[in-house]
Amino acid sequence: MIARGCRLIAIACAAVCVAGCDWMPGRPTQAEMPLRPSAITDFARLYGENCAGCHGVDGKLGPAIALNNPVYLAIVDDAAMHRVIADGTAGTAMPPFAGAQGGNLTDQQIDIVVAGIRKQWSGDKSVGAGAPPYSSNSPGDSNRGGQVYAANCASCHGADGKAGNAGSIADASFLALVSNQNLRTIVIAGRPDFGHPDWKSYSARQALTAQQVSDVVAWIAAKRPASMLSALSAAQH
Amino acid sequence: MAVMQRIKAVGAWLDERLQLGSTIAEVAEHPVPRSSASWWYIFGSATLVVLIMQIVTGICLATVYTPAANGAWESLIYLNYQQPLGWYIRALHGWGSNFMVALMLVHMVQVFLFGAHKYPRELTWVAGIVLLLCTLGMAFTGQVLRFDQDAYWGLGIGASIAGRSPLIGPKIVDLILGGPIIAGETLSRFFALHVFVIPGLLLAFVGLHLFLVLRLGINEWPMPGRIVTREKYRQQYKELVQRDGEPFFPFAAQKDIVFAGLIILSLVVVAAVMGPIGPGGQPDPTIIQTVPRPDFFFLWLFSVFALLPPWTETFLMLVGPPIAIGLLFAVPFLSGTGEKSWRARPFAVVIVTLILLAIGTLTWLGTYSPWSPQMEAWTEAPVPPDYLKGRTPLELQGAILIQYKQCRNCHSLGGQGGMRGPALGDTAARLTRDEIIRQIVQGGGNMPAYGKNLSPAEVNAIVAFLGTMHPANEPPARDSAKPAEPAASQ
Amino acid sequence: MAEQSNNDQAGSGELTSRRTFLLRVGIAINAVAVALFAIPILGYVLSPARKFVWLRWISLGPLTNFPENQTRLAEYVNPFRKPWDGETANIPCWVRHLSGGDFQVFAINCTHLGCPVRWFAESELFMCPCHGGAFYSDGRHASGPPPRPLYQYQHKIEAGQLWVRAGEMPTLGQPTA
Repeated sequence: MIARGCRLIAIACAAVCVAGCDWMPGRPTQAEMPLRPSAITDFARLYGENCAGCHGVDGKLGPAIALNNPVYLAIVDDAAMHRVIADGTAGTAMPPFAGAQGGNLTDQQIDIVVAGIRKQWSGDKSVGAGAPPYSSNSPGDSNRGGQVYAANCASCHGADGKAGNAGSIADASFLALVSNQNLRTIVIAGRPDFGHPDWKSYSARQALTAQQVSDVVAWIAAKRPASMLSALSAAQH
Repeated sequence: MAVMQRIKAVGAWLDERLQLGSTIAEVAEHPVPRSSASWWYIFGSATLVVLIMQIVTGICLATVYTPAANGAWESLIYLNYQQPLGWYIRALHGWGSNFMVALMLVHMVQVFLFGAHKYPRELTWVAGIVLLLCTLGMAFTGQVLRFDQDAYWGLGIGASIAGRSPLIGPKIVDLILGGPIIAGETLSRFFALHVFVIPGLLLAFVGLHLFLVLRLGINEWPMPGRIVTREKYRQQYKELVQRDGEPFFPFAAQKDIVFAGLIILSLVVVAAVMGPIGPGGQPDPTIIQTVPRPDFFFLWLFSVFALLPPWTETFLMLVGPPIAIGLLFAVPFLSGTGEKSWRARPFAVVIVTLILLAIGTLTWLGTYSPWSPQMEAWTEAPVPPDYLKGRTPLELQGAILIQYKQCRNCHSLGGQGGMRGPALGDTAARLTRDEIIRQIVQGGGNMPAYGKNLSPAEVNAIVAFLGTMHPANEPPARDSAKPAEPAASQ
Repeated sequence: MAEQSNNDQAGSGELTSRRTFLLRVGIAINAVAVALFAIPILGYVLSPARKFVWLRWISLGPLTNFPENQTRLAEYVNPFRKPWDGETANIPCWVRHLSGGDFQVFAINCTHLGCPVRWFAESELFMCPCHGGAFYSDGRHASGPPPRPLYQYQHKIEAGQLWVRAGEMPTLGQPTA
């Protein structure tokens, strides 16, 4: 009896070893294969390692603009996103990520990040329908912008932008750290993650027009102290 | 039955010519003190069993591994992913090395606490120290043969330590590396060490170690008050064995055999469950996104190098190891007679405890290395949303700058980020606004000065954000020279 | 030995000395032979330490690779490379182009224990991932255990290219990089 039991156990062991070892939990999986940093093509990993620090774990609730925002993704095109990731935005805290600019990502990886952001977070496309364009060449009129501000923004940021529940947007240091494009993007796309409205849901209950957006950005930008203005434009070439 | 008789006949034929049977029987059945047939006496034989397994798996690996810098890493990947059961043999060899070092250390501590190094077994201890050094040498060279980024930069660390030697440092570096820089010949040199030189020494000294154990007899269970003297000990031991001895096999050996079997089983299971160790990324020095770390048994050294005061470092790196090794060799000559039992040797117990505690603590620190900046934290470690909700635009810019300026590489927030500097979550409760500015601009206390790298606007934004960093129920820190008053909202 | 010399002194030794003569000859022959065998082996094993200057001028590529006021990673191929060196033959270094035509070329190795330092343009620091060394943009020590500034390569500009004198891993004893 005992001998037969031993034999059975031995046969079972042998069978497990020959056929079963490849099923063992310790066997390395393809996912554990070490990759060169330039060969990483998984969006989640690229985003997590390079973007999540500022733009938030799920593309939102980070200090920098939310990428998980259908309005933002509706107005920005792939080329613009690729350009910003690759070259950064001089004068602001968006660093360049392209290898040619001293960053760590390849062109292909930047494309993967752009495509991944769009695929993951575009959401309901109709939300962004009719939004003012991402960028505009027509300079805004800051006088008219002041009226737009009073009607739409002052309730949170205070009259003249100096205070209010949501804090000042006229602070000289703040304005020295953001580009006009930053301001424009926030005005149009908002920060839904922190309750900042987008272009069609400001307190005037009427969607801002493209011109109104340019105007209010011009009004805010005009509050930037002259010394910082020159420093910023120097940084932006 | 017929088969058994045939085997016996062949055995008898061989023994008639080899004349080994009686020798083997003599070795196996030599009398040992009854007290030494203990579960405390099983670690040496278990170490030997793991060594034999290492030899077997090592030979298996050598049939596939390519000891050349342009193929070593690829052959490891091949072993892990293509060679049938290659991953398993690598796992056995890698975990076997951990088992072997661990068992050897337990054996060593046991031997020391039981006074087995004392007269007349001094040489057995000396041979054991050589075995310890050889085994650690195998562990380090084995880590180099796993030719990945950790191996590459580990070699760099070894060379940098050697390069600190006065006068001959650079020459030693060239000798270690087999040239001026880590390259193909470096790996070949370490291959020769790992596969020929050190194993040769190891086997020779295992032979000597075992020979001495047989010649001198296994250490009896030490009793407090039974003093070892050069004059009487051998006679006492002889009498003890005659009075209260048993044949080694099977009386004592059965415990060794049981434990060896358990060790083999656990190694087999650990290897199957944990899998092979590495390799990490390609050994390409141009991949600078790398965080070199030594293997487990060298983590304590890694910690030592981070924590030593810099001005003592070169001296201690060069003088420390020879002194430590010298002391290990000297142990049986410093205390070769007298009490054997650890119960009567409080000083020995304290020393062992302190050393183990120190190495254990350093190893534990090494596993999370709070002194290292976390190189990816600035883009990887998010700002916890609670710190951002309800913040002003300027404060949000400050939060971005905390990331952008790589503050997070050394300072954690919400448990993520470097641990080199203090966590930022309560900055405002610890420092006033002016102190925060001074710390950032001038640095100090091991923090670089950021004055030149920050514009006034950047400083304002960072300070505004850090100013929000105090627990909700705790007011921000204030200057004690000024009267307390409700902080003006800014 | 002692016994033998006693025998010699006793004078009974002509026979003995003839007997041991061959042994002495054998020892002498073997001493010479072993020396002839061992000296080349030592020379072979120690050969890496026999050479004194492991440095050569190597190009890091055209100056246009290095924008002004920036610090960039550059790579060169180890001038003493062997065909089987594989990826280890590619050595990185940091090139800092100051305003004007000035350059600084830093070795990748931390001056503490040789780990690869990384440049962070945003905070203008080199940080080491091992024991926490940090250096300012000009290589000065900023924090942590490193005992000296970053190692620098000797460099020159020729034919529109940046050249460095390299080939050796810099260490405290040989900071030639």
